[in-house]
Parts: sequence; structure tokens; C-alpha cells
Amino acid sequence: MVTLTIDDVKVEAEEGSSILAAAAKAGIEIPNLCHLKELAPYGACGVCVVEAEGVPKLLRACATKVAEGMVIKTASERALKARKLAMELMMGDHDGDCLGPCKLKCPAHTDCQKYVKEIAEGRYADAVATIKEVFPLPASIGRVCPHPCENACRRRLVEAPISIAHLKAFAADKVRADGNVKPAAHAPPTGRKVGIVGGGPAGLSAAYRLSLLGHEVTVFDQMPEMGGMLRYGIPEYRLPKAVLKAETDAIAAEGVKFVNNFKIGRDATLEKLRGEFDAVIVANGAWRSVPMRIPGEDLKGVWGGIDFLRAVVNGEKPGLGRRVAVVGGGNTAMDACRTAVRLGAEEVYVLYRRTRDEMPAEKIEIAEAEEEGVKFRFLCSPAGIAGDDGRVSGVELQMMELGEPDARGRRRPVPLEGKTEMMRLDTVIIAVGQQNDNDGFEMLAKTGRGTIAAGEDFATAADGVFVCGDAAGRGAGIAIEAIAEANEAAKAVDAYLKGGKYEPAPCVVSEREVTRDDFADREKIERCRMPVRPAEERRRDFKEVNLGLDEESARKEAARCLECGCHDYADCRLIRYAKKLDTDCGRLRGEFHPGFVETKLVHIERNQRKCITCNLCVRVCEEKARKGVLGLVGRGFTTVVKPEFDDPSIPDFCRSCRLCVDACPTGALRLLSSSNG
Amino acid sequence: MCKNCSKSDLALLDPVLEEFAGDNHALVAILQRAQEIYGHLPCDVIYRIAEKRGLSPAKVMGVATFYSQFRLKPVGKNLILLCKGTACHVNGADSIAKALKDELGISDGETTADGLFTLNEVACLGCCSLSPVMMINETTYGSLTPEKAKEIVRSIKAEGERQ
Amino acid sequence: MRVVVGEGSCGIAAGALAVHRALEENGCEVGITGCIGMCYLEPIVDLYGDDGALAARLVKVGEADAPRIAQAAKSGDVTGLGDLLITGEDRSFLEKQTRIALRNCGIIDPESIESYRSAGGYEAISKILREGMTGEDVIGEIRTSGLAGRGGAGFPTWFKWNAARNSKGGEKFLVCNADEGDPGAFMDRAVIESDPHSLIEGMLIAAYAIGAEKAFVYVRAEYPLAIVRLEKAIAQAEKANLLGADILGSGFSCSLRIKAGAGAFVCGEETALIESLEGNRGMPRLKPPFPAEKGFDGKPSNINNVETFANVAWIIRNGGAAFAAMGTETSKGTKVFALTGKIRRGGLVEIPMGLTLRDVIFDIGGGIRDGKKFKAVQMGGPSGGCIPESLLDTLIDYKALGATGAIMGSGGMVVMDESTCMVNMARFFLDFTAKESCGKCVHCRIGTKRLHETLVRITEGKGREGDVELLEELCRGIKDGALCGLGQTAPNPVLTTIRYFRDEYDAHIRAKRCPAGECAALRTYSIDSGKCVGCTACAKKCPAGAIAGDLKKPHVIDESKCVKCGECVKACRFGAVSVK
Repeated sequence: MVTLTIDDVKVEAEEGSSILAAAAKAGIEIPNLCHLKELAPYGACGVCVVEAEGVPKLLRACATKVAEGMVIKTASERALKARKLAMELMMGDHDGDCLGPCKLKCPAHTDCQKYVKEIAEGRYADAVATIKEVFPLPASIGRVCPHPCENACRRRLVEAPISIAHLKAFAADKVRADGNVKPAAHAPPTGRKVGIVGGGPAGLSAAYRLSLLGHEVTVFDQMPEMGGMLRYGIPEYRLPKAVLKAETDAIAAEGVKFVNNFKIGRDATLEKLRGEFDAVIVANGAWRSVPMRIPGEDLKGVWGGIDFLRAVVNGEKPGLGRRVAVVGGGNTAMDACRTAVRLGAEEVYVLYRRTRDEMPAEKIEIAEAEEEGVKFRFLCSPAGIAGDDGRVSGVELQMMELGEPDARGRRRPVPLEGKTEMMRLDTVIIAVGQQNDNDGFEMLAKTGRGTIAAGEDFATAADGVFVCGDAAGRGAGIAIEAIAEANEAAKAVDAYLKGGKYEPAPCVVSEREVTRDDFADREKIERCRMPVRPAEERRRDFKEVNLGLDEESARKEAARCLECGCHDYADCRLIRYAKKLDTDCGRLRGEFHPGFVETKLVHIERNQRKCITCNLCVRVCEEKARKGVLGLVGRGFTTVVKPEFDDPSIPDFCRSCRLCVDACPTGALRLLSSSNG
Repeated sequence: MCKNCSKSDLALLDPVLEEFAGDNHALVAILQRAQEIYGHLPCDVIYRIAEKRGLSPAKVMGVATFYSQFRLKPVGKNLILLCKGTACHVNGADSIAKALKDELGISDGETTADGLFTLNEVACLGCCSLSPVMMINETTYGSLTPEKAKEIVRSIKAEGERQ
Repeated sequence: MRVVVGEGSCGIAAGALAVHRALEENGCEVGITGCIGMCYLEPIVDLYGDDGALAARLVKVGEADAPRIAQAAKSGDVTGLGDLLITGEDRSFLEKQTRIALRNCGIIDPESIESYRSAGGYEAISKILREGMTGEDVIGEIRTSGLAGRGGAGFPTWFKWNAARNSKGGEKFLVCNADEGDPGAFMDRAVIESDPHSLIEGMLIAAYAIGAEKAFVYVRAEYPLAIVRLEKAIAQAEKANLLGADILGSGFSCSLRIKAGAGAFVCGEETALIESLEGNRGMPRLKPPFPAEKGFDGKPSNINNVETFANVAWIIRNGGAAFAAMGTETSKGTKVFALTGKIRRGGLVEIPMGLTLRDVIFDIGGGIRDGKKFKAVQMGGPSGGCIPESLLDTLIDYKALGATGAIMGSGGMVVMDESTCMVNMARFFLDFTAKESCGKCVHCRIGTKRLHETLVRITEGKGREGDVELLEELCRGIKDGALCGLGQTAPNPVLTTIRYFRDEYDAHIRAKRCPAGECAALRTYSIDSGKCVGCTACAKKCPAGAIAGDLKKPHVIDESKCVKCGECVKACRFGAVSVK
């Protein structure tokens, strides 16, 4: 036995063992990518380097034998620097394509690729469970989300993106209808209590997440029902209340307590609430319409967009008159104009100061509004609202033209001097934005834009009070953004309750740039079409416009997925160390080594693009399997692993023992599903 | 690549394989001799060597692709080794390379359509005092200028056409 | 008179074989010798008087000179050869040298063991065997000499021999590394081509000292002449019972075989060389175990370079002390350099350690040719660095050269003038190492590639602020992290050029200018309207359609379209196109 010191710990190790093995025995992990204890040390990856006292060179822990009295530092500044450089060099040459763009571009990183595949395989309950790992409202979000996932989907480079959002709604509806929801796993109760203000997508997601973590959660909401903007800002014809209700009920069934008709400042102070809970999350949204600050906004018949939608949900019957104009080009404007149509207004206009191309609303919403008879007027903006006897009689429209692009690249509307027009109207709905209602939250510091200020860890200035969603920092956004924040805020609260520190998990990935050329050989398969009720029929009522996908078309649609993301992301040692060592994956990117994908070994797919040339597969095949099917070919930067020759006997020779697949530290080798089991 | 894509006379290899039968360390030497016989290393020859030596084809291939001397494809009748060593670099090897590429219409590693020339840029021929240098088959040409290099190639071509 | 033609590879490339034939056709009996070292004067013909002394050295001889040389050889009267006679200045090239490793080069017939013997060859091994010197005695003598590995690293030779001698495990191997892969170096080739028996004798002595009975010479396949001459020499030595079993009846046996390398720079690294000898991909092994414990075939092995061995017989014959009397405190004896590049008198130079770089480049090499200015000397090839003018008085000594950031190296000394771009020089070397990396370790395989890409970017005028810092960071990281000597030293050309020629990097990156005018992408072409006659020749040649102008009126180059090919300069007969 040899005694040495590793990171200030005295360690006993067998003579002849490596520093790596000695450290592992002492519970000290030295990262390494090209070593397997059954194989002879190789020393290629350079990640396991450590510093030894009195030795001028860095030592490879995998290949250096322990010696009596050695003093090893596994994480000295120099070793870490060398290790990190090795990682950066590898990541710069690793065309890993870790996550599909769908998952990457989803603000909450929902694993779209996974649940789409589960749907394609008919495993709907699994698909819903996958979604619920991120948020508890799949049927609702599937209906309303503007789906950044789809917008990023690479299938658009073949013909059209996967209909991810509709698939989500389909799976959730199907599982709910079939009643085979998979139960979620709960951590044992912690005895800690969390109060959440606001029962919208942010509040409910945070509540669900914290409840699964074992905390006792109560959600307080000012409205009679849970759902927040999903309920009071999205019209019935897009998201039926019954669908939402079923999902909020399911959250309650998981143990979350709901308290409705409870308004902070009216029913209790925030301070009081804080006193009753171990932590509080403020997720009260942005519930005030932004006014235009033009003359006449106080006239009767002038509505704020979300105020109007909420009034309709609450059963009010706003007398709209014959002619209605909605100001704005976003989704709230679309919801408002289509609601106005359904309430019987004869002529409904949308007034937008830019052109159709700049409208932030979803294209399908615009198209469906048009089908329902809404008329669009572009390049105009109300300069004032005229009234007659205290009630709207029309607006004065200032005509605009597009000027220079603004900071976001959208061309700025500029008034055309002297060009105005009078438009006769009975109702004007102003849907140009939302802002916080901060009544009752005076104790919290605010940002310049009137939202509640918080740090990166979602903590407000008040101890134990956190904030997320529309109410927080950057203001109103889409539901899935609020959910993404809520999930992180939940982690922050969990850490707070457990006395730990919240660290945002870095999203470390290797991303690939692709073009149409990459998919030139793909067969084109038409994207599914969501069946909808005819415009003539649907404009008369509030029943859901979309009829939902049938099972066959849903599975067919899901099967179109290109499965961009790496199968191995969860287990990839390369990515694990990249995260651990805070690796900048793109910094040392240059030309990639030769990449190709092949399945000569029949049951094993080899993706040379992801290979880091650790040579483990070659070595296990040679040293353990005694086969030598794989070999290194070439020299220098272009060295690749290959099974040589298109030899028809290779598959028999190979016998798919999987040793190489198991040895691969990253996703370069994959056992094809046909040989599973 | 596959073992059936070439039809070499494998009998020519037998004496070589026999000669080195007792030497476990002779793979490089065998490949060198095989290349002398066949002009390059055809797949069936690589397969044969693997089989006879009890090695996997991948292993033989790994060695054959590691060293710059080995060629997996046939070369032209005249193999031009253009030196890109340090002295040649300093004395204008790049301009010689360009002249040859212009004259032959091929780049490094390629063979002309008529099969007359293959151009290979090499690290150093060890004739640094005469840089820039190239070697065509066994003959070394030194103190090259772009014009001189073109002339040499042209005269070899003319000779080839005469024959 | 005896006629001898210098027939090393350089001489042959310069036309020595044609001269040889022509002389024979003119009735001469022609002898051969190897490399005289004055490569810039090849082909060289030596005329020896009947007393055996060199009577006349004729340089830059052509076939047409054969008749009068034959005539002179017959008559003994060389007065008619005045124009061919070497000048006094050129003679000084040799006179300023001290030749030990090259002692027989250009003098004896490399294809004759008798010729070697007549120069005192095989006396050293005979003495050892006759006098019954032990291995320790031999190693002791080598220790006294201070001989260090001439392959580049400069590790004490006796130490390696001693380790191999003391290493347990029956069979031992001796290997000569003649895989002279360093571009710009040809000392080893010259020694084998010109004096193969001195290598054999040196190896015999080493084999005797460490107790090896099997020896290999690993020669580059690119050296066919060296292989042929060594094969001949081995056959002669075997016949003379100087190789094989029971050498000279002493009971000591040693076989020697040639193994031809197959073209991989990394095989100069000793563990990679062993892999290659074993018939594998030449990928370096982890050290320890060092070859002295586990080398070829897992047995104790000792590896030295050609020049190291070439010194050994001399040391045994003249004593270690005589060798150690030359040189400096830390570097003993002599060192051979291959002096090339923009030098007036290029060739092989052997000098005692402790001279300055200036002595070699200016006194012996005659300085820069074509009246240009010295800029730098590159030593050590891809593992070495560029030394600037301000350090020309650096002593030739392992330590002193190491302090400059370059290395002694195996002996390549490439001289550069003001027209050599130092950034491009670094790019050149990294292109080399990136291709020659064995591909095993990450730092070398990917790191050198990224260095190369960055250097390419800079030479193409796409350099970015911070690129030099990136290069430095990568260089330091690669030195620290690479597995073998190739990777660990690959950054040296970059680091030294940054250290001494930072202004050139900055000029490329910031001003998009190549001060040496070498980087094509950074040149600007313009037409002097005063000189242009409007002949349209340049416009017709321009492949990019960047030149416009009417017939008989001055033309202009559209810089945005120019692809910097230089065709216009060549096409212009009026010198109107200028390059900056």
C-alpha cells in the first residue's frame, strides 16, 4: 500500500494503481473522457490532468501511478485551466447537436422531441408525463402557445415544421379523455409552506413544481377561478374553460391548495401573507391595459383589450354597437376583434400602425380573424377619440408610413404630416399592451418599467418573497415564458427553504447550423392540418374553433420529426463536464473534423460528427471484444474512427456486443432500437 | 471500399508474406513492399495482408492511412513530390506549387486525367540547399523557378507522347 | 590524378551523375565521395594528386567541362581549370569548421569499407574489443565527453545508455533514429550517404555498452540513396565480421537491420518511433515507462540519433576529454547544422559549441544573399523558433538557445531575410504540425488546428483584435497539455514570432498590411497611369475582371474585385503595375 495526499486528504492506494483510481477510491472525481479501468491507460483527452507537488509537468491522472508521499491537487488553478482548455478544444470540434432547436428555443426547454416521439409511438401518457416535467397545463398551453418550438423546427427546411403545439394538445386531451394520467412522483413532505400570489400559468407552474418537491403550497388569486390570463384573457373559442378547469383541478388533486377571490391589499397585506408562509412567490401578472394617452380615452365605449376580454368572460354584455375598432396588432388584439365579432358587432376593424408583415400576432390568428370578417387597416393610428354625449362616436386616424428600423429591426411607423381621416365608430378597444397592477405590493421595489424588481435568483428586496412571470422584471410576455421563470423561481424557493443557494443551470450545448441542403434528400411529407369549424358557423358562438387532431393524423404528424437532438444528451459525459467546468462551447470552434453517419455495423449507428476521438470504442473492440472491427483512419486533425470496407461480413463479425456503445463517452455511437432487448 | 472492388494478382504478395511470416513487427515493411509491387495499396491487397497476418482489416487500414508514403489509389506514371520544407518555403515553394497546378490542372494529391502525373506535396526531401526542390520519380530537380518547373513537366510530357 | 565526384543527394540533384558519366566517357576513372557540405557549389569534382592530397577542387562543374577535366587529370596540369577552381573565400567555408561527425564526409568513398578503414575506421570498436573495455568503461568515456543527444532534446547520452544497460530483462535493443523529419534539416542524410560506416561503428559501440545484440536503423523512406549506401555498408561490415555473431572473435554479437520509415514526422518521437518499428500507427505512448525499461517489443531499448552515433567512434579513439575540450560549460563538442534559406553559402556546417549564431551565418555562411537584410534564423524546425537579429550573438549552446525560445534542435538553420513574413512562417509550421499530429491527444490534434486557422486568418487579412492573445493562450495550453514532444513544442514557432515580431502580427491584424510583402491577400495592386500605355494585356489576363480601361488609355484596378493573383504584374511589359 502507498499513502499519498489528494486534495489535502490522506489516501491509501494499492501500489501500481493510478492517481485516478486512488482518487476515485477516496471519493474524489477527476473528470476523464478516454479512460476505462479495464483498458490500458491512453492519455488522449487531457481532461484528467492534475498537479503534483514538485513535478513541473501536469500529470495525466489516468496514466500516472501513485507513489509514496505524492501530494496531488486535482483542481489547482493550472490543472483546471488545462482541463478547461481540453474541454473547449473538444467542444469546439464536437458537432454534437445536443438539443433539438425545439427544446432549445422553448423558453422552458420542454422536451418536445421526446414527447413528439412518444406520441408517434402511441405512448400518450408518457408524452403528457414528459410535458408535465416542465409544466402542468399541457392541454391549455398546447392550445394557446405561439410555439417558439415550431418556429425553430428544422423540419421547416424540408417542407413545414412539426405541428408541435397541436400534438401537445392532442396528447393531453386524449390522456384526459382516456383517464390514464400517469401519477407524478412526489418528494416526501418537507413541512415547509409556500404561498403563491396569482393563479395564472406562472403561479400554477411554480405551485405544481414546489408541491412535487414536498412543500405545502397555497395559491391565492383575486378572481373566482384559477387560470389567470389563460382564463380571463384568452377567449373560450381558443381555450375552453372546461379544458383549463380540468387541468387546474388536476393541480389541486396533486395537493396544491387554491384560495380564490383573495386580493392582496384588500383581503390581506403581503406582509401578513409572508408571515404565514415560509416563502412567498408573487406571480400576479400584468393585468392593466396600457392606455394610449390620447384625447377621449375616458369616453364610454372605450375599452382596454384585456379589460374587455375579462368582462366577456365574467358574463358582462358590453354594448358594442355596430362598428367596433380594435387598436393593436398582437394576439390580444386578435382575441378582442374575434370576440367582438362573436358578440354581434357588424363591422369590426383592426387598426395597426405598421403593416401586416410587422404584426406580432400569430399568422393563423390573423387569417382566422379575416375569415370571420374582421377588416384590417394598416399604417394608421388613432390620434384622438371623438365622442358624442360622453360616448364614442369615432376616431381621428393619423396615417403613417414606415421609417427607419428600430432597435429590434422593425421599421418604425412615422406620421404622414397632415394626412388624417375620421372614422365613425361605436366602440374602440385599445389592445396595445399590459402593465402591472401594483396595488398591494407597495413594499416591493420596482423596476423602471413598473414591474417588480428581483435578482437573478428571483428574490425581491423582501426576504423570502420571490417574483416571477409577467409581474417580474421584463414584464408581460407569453405564457411559456412565465412558466419558464416560474420553474426557475420554484428551484430558487426550494433552495431558499433548504438553506442552499440557487444557481441558474447553464444550458451547455453544442449546436449545429443547418441549411436546406442538409435535408435535400428527405422525403417531403405534408404537415397535418388542424380541422376547424367553418368561419360562418364559428363566428356566431364561442365554441372552440379547432376540432382537434385525430389519433391517426397525430401519430403521422409526430412521425415526421427529424429527431435532431442527441439521444445521449442526458448521459453524455462530455456535456456533463462541459457544464461542470463552465465550458464555453463555441469559443474555440473552427473547422470540424470529417463527419459522417453510418450504420455499417447494422445495429450500431456511428455518428462521426460527435466523435471526440477518445478511441475507447476502438480499444474495447480490440482489447476486450478481441474483434478489432473499428480502427483509427488517417492522421492529425482528420483522424476518424472507421469500420473499414463495405464488407458484407462486417455485421456478423461485429455481433453487436455493445461494448463500444457503452464505452462511448458521448453520443457518437448508438444502439439502434431494432436490437433493443 | 470493399475487398471485391479491385482484382489484384495476389500471388505476387505471397513471397513477401512468407518472408515476414516470423516477424510480428513487419506490417509497415509489408505494406511498403506491397506498394512497390502494386504501385499503391488496393483493397484486396489490404484484406489479404490482414487475413494472412491475423489482423483486422481496420488495423491494417489504420497503418496504411497513418503514413504519408502509402497510397490507396493508383498514382500517375510520374509521381511529382514537391518539397514544402522550410528552406523551400522560404525560397518560394508556393510559387512552384502554383506553377505546377496551373500547368497540370490538378491540386495536391490529384492525378491528371491522362494518368501521366500525380502531384504530392511533401514535408521535406532533405535537399534544402538546392531549394526549391521537387522529385519526379527518382530524379531530384533543384533551384526551381516557376518557369523551370513548368518546363520540366512539359519535357516529360513530350517524352511520354513520343513513346 | 584521381578524379572524385561528390555524389550525395544534393550533388546528384545538381547534376553530379551526368558529370560522372561525362568524365567516364572522356576516359577518366572516376571515384565517388559523399557530401562535401558545400551544397551551394555542387556539382563538385575533386582532383587528388598522386601523393593522395587534394590538388584541386572544382565547383559548379557541368557536363561540358568533362573533356578538359579529363585532360587535366591525365596530365596533372590544372592550369586550364582556373574558372572552375574553388575560390579562397569559398574555401574558408570549410576551413572555419571543426569536423568530427562529418570527419569523413566528402573525403572517403561511402561505398567502400576499405576507404573508411583507411581513415581510421573501425579502430574504436576494435580497440574496445581488443582491450576488453567493459560497457561501464565505454559509458564512462562517453560521460567524460559530455556528448548529448543530437536529435534535438540534448539529453546526456551516457545517462540513457546507462539506464538501458542497467535495465533488467534479457534481450535489449538499440535503435538509431534516422527519421530526419524536421523540414530544413539534412545532416543525418548526409552522414549516412557520405559515411555510413561511422554510423555502424558508433552503433556497435553503443550496443556493446548497453548489452544489445539487435540494432535497427529507422530511416526515412524519402532517403533512398541513404538506404542503399547503408545496405551496402552493412553487407560489407557483415562480411568483415564487424557485424553479426562473434564480432572479431570477441564473443560480442550484434546484428543491424534497416527499417524504412513510411513518412510521419511524429515518428521522430522515440515512443512513436517504437510503435512504428513494431509496425503500428506511429502514435506516441505514455511515458513512463521509458524506452530504457520498455521499448521495442516491450524490451529495454535505447534510441539515439544519427549524429550522436557518428561522434561515438571519434570519442573512443580520441578520448572523451578531447571532445569535452570543445564547447561551453553546458554543451560539449561540435554540432552539425544544415544552413539553408536566404543564405549566400548554404550547406553542412560543423562547428564547436560556443560559437555564436553570427559566426555561423555571417562568417561561414557569408550572410544574406542578393544584398538583402537579415531578419531571423529558424532553428529546430517545427519544434523550434525564430531568433531575431538582436540575438545573433547568442552562443550555440543548449541552454543559451533555449533561453531565446528556440531550441538547438537537430540542426536545421533556415535563414530568412526581410522578404520573409514571420506570421506566414508561423502559419507554415503550424500547417505542418497540424497535419503531422498523430491525432491522439486533444491539445495537439485540435489545438494546433485552431492555431493554424487563426494564423491563416491573420495572413489573409481577416485577423481580429485579440487574436494574438488567443494564440498565446492556446500555445501555453498546448505546451502544458499535449502528450508528447511534438505537441509540447508545436507552439514554439508561434510563440517566438510573437515574442520577437509582434509588430508584424499587429500590422497584419490592425493595418491589414504584410510588412514583408509576402501575404498575397494583403497586397494591393495599382497601375501607374504615367507608365501604362493602355495595351490591355493586364486586363485580358485578369481572371477576376478587375482591370478596366480603354485601348491606349491608362487602365485602373478595381480593388474590390482584385483577387491578388499577380497575373497583371507578369502581363505588363511596361512595369506599370506596382504591388504594395
